[in-house]
Amino acid sequence: MQGPSTKSFRQAFLENLLVSLQLQQEHTSKHDSSSVGAAMSLHERKLAVKSSADVAMAAARGAGARWTRAILAPASSACKVQRCRRIVIRCRGRKRSLTTRSARAGDGGTSSGGEIARRLVSRRTMALREVIPGGRDAAVDEATLLREAMDYVVHLRAQVDVLRQVSEAVQRSGSSILQVLIRGLVAYVKKRET
Amino acid sequence: MSSRRGRITDEEINELISKLQALLPESSRRRAASRSSASKLLKETCGYIKSLHQEVDDLSDRLSELMSTLDDNSPQAEIIRSLLR
Repeated sequence: MQGPSTKSFRQAFLENLLVSLQLQQEHTSKHDSSSVGAAMSLHERKLAVKSSADVAMAAARGAGARWTRAILAPASSACKVQRCRRIVIRCRGRKRSLTTRSARAGDGGTSSGGEIARRLVSRRTMALREVIPGGRDAAVDEATLLREAMDYVVHLRAQVDVLRQVSEAVQRSGSSILQVLIRGLVAYVKKRET
Repeated sequence: MSSRRGRITDEEINELISKLQALLPESSRRRAASRSSASKLLKETCGYIKSLHQEVDDLSDRLSELMSTLDDNSPQAEIIRSLLR
């Protein structure tokens, strides 16, 4: 389906993701908790992580699919943090010229049977268009949509896998900080009791 | 894949749909007969993508929570610090 192996995609995705997460951490630690409104709420953090994951996935995919453009274009313009914006633009630079693969169905006379079949399929693909980035574009014909769906599913699965690995890694390293704090708490409580 | 001008044949559509079927998880493949209707498969694909989106959402939740415990200035870290005072 895609030229490069999935492994190189995962590596590129991981790299992009970690850079974004690092930026996010730096950004939040720059604002101390006393300045109201500067610190990110947990919900905002979650949205930032999610958007980083999508941008990282789309950028790592590179050229050759429509859904990547659908993710990257609005992300680049919506990015308020200057450094974050540069990341998106830098990732985008990895892609060569994006040639659309959608071939419009011919507009010559069509057999009624074929045309009806295509209209039926297009009703069925309506739901699919809603979940695939860029799928809502009417210019995307059914065949292209199906190819996009296949490509998107493969990369979504990799996104889930990598996110899980990253969470587990952070949990392993992060829990040590919690353990130190909890051990300190236990020692403190014991001291109070004696 | 070369871009093709002209009509997309129904055969091509069916071929793409069966390729899509191969990507769906094992459980839904077994449930579906080998000759599932195209619309059924498309619905399943939709459902599958939605469930993947949900997984990403849950993992983003988890990851952002974990990250906030690492951050010195987060309310979560402050709670932990206040317990130690």
